[in-house]
Amino acid sequence: MKRTILFLFLSVLVTSIATAQEIVVKGTVTDKTNGELLPGANVIVDGTTVGATTDFDGNYAINAPSDGVLVFSFMGMKTVKVPVNGQSTINVALDYESEILNDVIVVAYGTTTKEAFTGAAEVVNKDVIADRPVTSFEKALQGTTAGLQVTNSSGQPGSSATVRIRGIGSLNASSSPLYVIDGIPMAGSLSDINPNDIESLTVLKDAAAASLYGSRAANGVILITTKQAKEGQTQITFDANYGVSSRISDGYALMNATQIYEQQWMGLYNRQVLDGFPNTDAIAFAHTNVENVVGFNPFGVAQPLDDNGRLIPGTIVKTNTDWRDEVYKTGAVQNYNLSVAGGTSATKVFFSLGYFNDSGTTLNSNFKRYTAKLNASQKVNKFITAGMNTHFSMSETNAPPSGGEAANPIRMAELINAATPVYNDDGTYNWDNSAQFDFNPVGLADLDKYEYKGSRALVNTYVNVEILPNLNFKTNGAIDYAVNKGLNYYNPFHGNGAGVGGRSTQSRSDNIAWNISNILTWVKDFDNSNLELLAGQEAVGEEFTVLSAGVTDFAVPGNPELVWGGTPTTPSSSVSDWTMVSYLGQAKYAHAGKYYLSGSVRSDGSSRFGVNNRYGLFYSIGGSWRMTKEEWMSDIGWLNNFKLRASYGTSGNNNIGNYASLGLYGGGANYGGYPGITPVQPENKELAWEKIASLNIGFESTLFNTVDFSFEYYNRDSDKLLFAKPLSSGTGYGSILTNLGAMSNRGFESNIAWDAVNKENFTYSVGLNVSTNKNIIKNLETDQIISGTKILEVDGDVYQFYMRDWAGVNPDNGMPMWYANQDADDDSGATPQPGDIYDNPLGGDRQVTSDYSVAKRVRMGSALPDVFGGFTNNFRYKNFDLNFYFYYSLGGQVYNNDYATNMHDGSQVGYNLAADAIDAWTPNNRFTDVPRYVFSNTDQGSQLSSRFLEDASYLRLKNISLSYNLPDNLAQKMMMQNFRLSVSAENIWTLSKFNGFDPEGAINGTTGNSIPGVKVVNVGLKANF
Amino acid sequence: MKTLKFIQLPVALLLAAMVMITSSCSEDFLETEPSTAIPTEDVFKSIVTAEAALIGAYDAMSAWGVDGLYFPLMSDVMGEDVMINNVNNYNWFVPVYQLEVLPNYQYPGNIWRGAYKVIFDANNIIENASKIPDASNEEIQNIQGQARTMRAYMMLKLAQFFAPAYTANPAALSIMNVNTVIDVNDEPFGRATNEEVYVQIVNDLLSAIESLDVSSDKGFFDKKAAQAILARAYLNMGEYAKASEMAVAAQEGIELMSLEEMFWGFNYRTSETIFTIAYTPDDNNIYLSIPSFYWPVAGYSSIRANDEFVNQFELGDVRAQFFLKEPSIDADRHLVLKFQHWQSIGNAERVDIRASEMVLIEAECEARLGNYSIAQDALLKIQERSVANAQKSTATGEALVNEILLERRKELFGEGFRLNDIKRTQSPLVRTGDHWSKYNFSANDPDYYRLTFPIPQSEIDANENISQADQNAGY
Repeated sequence: MKRTILFLFLSVLVTSIATAQEIVVKGTVTDKTNGELLPGANVIVDGTTVGATTDFDGNYAINAPSDGVLVFSFMGMKTVKVPVNGQSTINVALDYESEILNDVIVVAYGTTTKEAFTGAAEVVNKDVIADRPVTSFEKALQGTTAGLQVTNSSGQPGSSATVRIRGIGSLNASSSPLYVIDGIPMAGSLSDINPNDIESLTVLKDAAAASLYGSRAANGVILITTKQAKEGQTQITFDANYGVSSRISDGYALMNATQIYEQQWMGLYNRQVLDGFPNTDAIAFAHTNVENVVGFNPFGVAQPLDDNGRLIPGTIVKTNTDWRDEVYKTGAVQNYNLSVAGGTSATKVFFSLGYFNDSGTTLNSNFKRYTAKLNASQKVNKFITAGMNTHFSMSETNAPPSGGEAANPIRMAELINAATPVYNDDGTYNWDNSAQFDFNPVGLADLDKYEYKGSRALVNTYVNVEILPNLNFKTNGAIDYAVNKGLNYYNPFHGNGAGVGGRSTQSRSDNIAWNISNILTWVKDFDNSNLELLAGQEAVGEEFTVLSAGVTDFAVPGNPELVWGGTPTTPSSSVSDWTMVSYLGQAKYAHAGKYYLSGSVRSDGSSRFGVNNRYGLFYSIGGSWRMTKEEWMSDIGWLNNFKLRASYGTSGNNNIGNYASLGLYGGGANYGGYPGITPVQPENKELAWEKIASLNIGFESTLFNTVDFSFEYYNRDSDKLLFAKPLSSGTGYGSILTNLGAMSNRGFESNIAWDAVNKENFTYSVGLNVSTNKNIIKNLETDQIISGTKILEVDGDVYQFYMRDWAGVNPDNGMPMWYANQDADDDSGATPQPGDIYDNPLGGDRQVTSDYSVAKRVRMGSALPDVFGGFTNNFRYKNFDLNFYFYYSLGGQVYNNDYATNMHDGSQVGYNLAADAIDAWTPNNRFTDVPRYVFSNTDQGSQLSSRFLEDASYLRLKNISLSYNLPDNLAQKMMMQNFRLSVSAENIWTLSKFNGFDPEGAINGTTGNSIPGVKVVNVGLKANF
Repeated sequence: MKTLKFIQLPVALLLAAMVMITSSCSEDFLETEPSTAIPTEDVFKSIVTAEAALIGAYDAMSAWGVDGLYFPLMSDVMGEDVMINNVNNYNWFVPVYQLEVLPNYQYPGNIWRGAYKVIFDANNIIENASKIPDASNEEIQNIQGQARTMRAYMMLKLAQFFAPAYTANPAALSIMNVNTVIDVNDEPFGRATNEEVYVQIVNDLLSAIESLDVSSDKGFFDKKAAQAILARAYLNMGEYAKASEMAVAAQEGIELMSLEEMFWGFNYRTSETIFTIAYTPDDNNIYLSIPSFYWPVAGYSSIRANDEFVNQFELGDVRAQFFLKEPSIDADRHLVLKFQHWQSIGNAERVDIRASEMVLIEAECEARLGNYSIAQDALLKIQERSVANAQKSTATGEALVNEILLERRKELFGEGFRLNDIKRTQSPLVRTGDHWSKYNFSANDPDYYRLTFPIPQSEIDANENISQADQNAGY
């Protein structure tokens, strides 16, 4: 189409001039890549102004000197010179100017070419995303792109991963990037989007790339471009994938029934001995009480242990429950997609249907999604195109509670000991256990419900008016509408609902985000350069409404509808909204294909900020220089391309909640049946944008035609960081949101891709990306903010661990030891009494203490990795493709809370123990890292300390896939264009020293009883009709 | 060029449309308001919202982390009469029972933050009540009086936990005397002395007694509640004459509850209730409630009574029936039947002040003042309800005081008094019998620090005027 228009214009301008002594040369000009005829190509006699253009069929005729040279050119293609040499027919096939048309990339409010782009952005195409056994696309991005850190903190199907671009940009506000789908910023969950509908993703990393999104761009932007139809024959694609999923690893072993029984016996015995009772009393005490402590006697006899606390040989073990086996299961991941794409020059339609079902790896944890997509565009007339991109989805999720809740099955699987049966002898559930009475996770999975349903419609309509060939206006209107339903039902008899005769809570929420934008672009070509200007306006609003109600006292169990309950609980409802109005402008200038400059500016006004700081202005400038286009560099044969880039700019972060600047009294503080209100947050009129200034310097290069190598350095300075500053309780508030912080993230990113072998039957390419990021807090108004396992302070990073320094176990008495660290700057430790601090019996210069409160806390490294990235390998042999890639994350620590809970040394006697606890200190096992095991231990050995701080480094085979494409002739016999079969595996292998299920946990480096990651083995087929 | 002119019209229209869209985005567009909260400055513009703020303060005070559960339960668990069972305790309150609390634990943190929030809420009312345009003087006096009582009540509880006893050292570092609303940017309060804190408490209560009338709804502080709390404060200060006077005033005209009412389960107000936490189960955590921990089944049910304590009830004392050995539930220790659920788990008002306590304060003070006969009469009032054929005590002096103190333990068991009684009398803590965390230390013993909570680490971290040097001894 484009070529036809071009032809029309050019045919007016160019006239043929005939001269004497010349011959008529005729011929056709074609596109070398597909053999299609090229209308509108220029043919000029070299050194003259004599020229012609090809007609609609690519034919030309020109009068030329028989010894002359013809120059064939076409926009975007390589110019070709052919000597006439008396020929009367010269046919020419033109090739594309290598990068140009192939490398159009989607960027903020438009597209550009890779060579002209001045920012740091990376494109991930559909091959990486499609047909992976993941619920949402961001999970497939791990390791694919330098600077992009993706962390899966839960194996719950349908959950989202944590995504960070170039480090952690905020302290209290969200550090998530902005997601923009087909030009419209998204408001809801990423798992509503079918990854198979995605054509490509662009990760915008620096200011030149992202700051046109202003106050939402501080943490980078991910642009999602969905599939569009092309002109031509209708394509029907069907793909089906079936995967088998399971827990990613076995984790550390837990005690079996015999071990826990023996261990608790020892704890009781040790308690008595420590309390000064004689040995015989202690043995009797242990014998008497062990069953009560364990909760069950898993053996057939009343006293199964001898006086040393060992199982009498020959004793039959009747109960030995593996609670993990009861809670975890093998899941199935099914994914089916059908899409139809086709169009004429005027109308193009793409639609798809998708079904995704992940049955999960734990009880009552699964996800189903139905999606439908329709992208259509219509060329109304010569200069108006209108279209819409729509996306509909429905999802159903079952997700049990997480974290420290008793109803969290993951937690209970670790805490209930193996001596506890799942079922009673009569087949009913056994609700008794020593960890959390009445919370049998298997029984609760059967009786309780945690159901969530969502529907989502994303509708984006646009009208594009080509006012002049170089002036374009585009108006966009979009709605992102989501309705969510939640149902929590606790059965009347056991667990959370037992006290109230059962409880059902239902909620309905809807979220409407709307967006209107008007963008005017003007392009002007000069002799040797090109200028593109963009001006626009955007308005955004979002309103979230929620209603929830509940009942207790159920007459008929198992029916969660509210009508079945006898007593209503306090219902609630609320509406929350925010608005933003913006103006934006951008200029891009290109000169001689060598020098590129860009600049942008955007003003955002947002309702979220204090009245004194309502508007923010954000800008960027960027430039690039393609050095290899310079004469003096064109001689370097091995260097095919070298481009230098630099950019600087600002952007903001407005993710702080809708009314954070206001001083408020909230409702619902009721007492004695009377309605009350209570102060909920202090006012801060000055509350402002979080600002990030980013600098990016880098180069891109191509070497020996086969190696792409790029390298970047970035520095992102965040200022006015939103931070909930802890307050003295005397102020009445726990904290106040302020702009008190400053932080920087700096690092290097590098990408190497090598087309190692490129033969007809065999290709091999390999790629490596490396990212580093150093996060440094630059300013906090308070000296230190210590919370949980971390300390925030100037010059530290945002996830710096701070805790007591584990020194091991005192071989003389089995008590825990921490390094005293009396010279540390921690002001919280108790004043040591004489004898509290002593020389380390294990050797070394540092003094230790066995009094937890005396030991001082010290800095213990960061949760953030030093280096992370991906390593990809792609092989193709004839019709086989083998691709695999690794993700690696080096450095960084994780505090293993879960393990600490299972290594309680007797301080939480009701809880189960890790098998490692068998190694507890005894007079016969003096040199060990596990302290003495004492019933109701008060040694504090399992308190927060580096005892449970572990190296989180790992290397993971993220994905491996082998696929076979049916030869074309065979496929065609089956009435298909092509047909592919594949086998793949996700997360199948991990190398790590981490003592748990998965070193990849929460980004802040603490484990919290979340569903571990999953590994999936997948088979799939794809047919194209 | 004809085409260009033709196109210029739509261009002009579009540009005009853009201008219109943008100009409509005025400042109003960016004004949004929450639907579930009102601006702070609007709260004291009418008596209706001001009274709602007072209700909110009671709500904060009734929370499980404050006076709904933590203050009363921990007071008893730290003494010698009550214990947390050594098994099936879900680890709730175990370090509190073991007297092994650290500054970063939630137990000191919750009551500290929770009580200061109540004090902040009360301060807002005290400072702004007089500015409410549509409030009558009576209404102002009423809400100010309740707020002052509330502030004093919370400070007294905080001081009992976070400071050594007043009687031991009036000059000792106590809690923050937060007697005014401060801006979040102002310098925070440091620790005041016991003396300063008690002066504040006494002044607040004296003022409240002036402002308040006697009210019929015992879920709110009234004149009698203020008098009763003042009696407690004076008792802590060793001002026995004043304490007795206030105790007498507080119980005046109140009929002690019958024996039958005493076995209702302490889950609703009776004739002798002076103040009760008016609990509603639908907006509170039913498992974090007194009956959930005390009643032998259906909740956490982890509280047990010490055998040595149970043995002190004489034959014929009906209150001994509050304690039960039931092997099918616990073969080893005494269950407690005093605090029951009402209809559903956790549903129970928590009776906080009742006249019997006032009678016992009167008895103790008069005994200490040497008015033995008055003291003996008062003691008999309590004893004759529960003990068959109770006789007026003939003891005098120290013996009489000790008899009254023992009677307090029996009568007020589980009602949240024991820790303070040990501390204010500087008694030793002796845990014997079936305790599994045994102690025996006296007031001069360094271990006595265990009866005072550490200032929470979060406060030390956030407060420039409280440093580790100001931390309580032992931590």
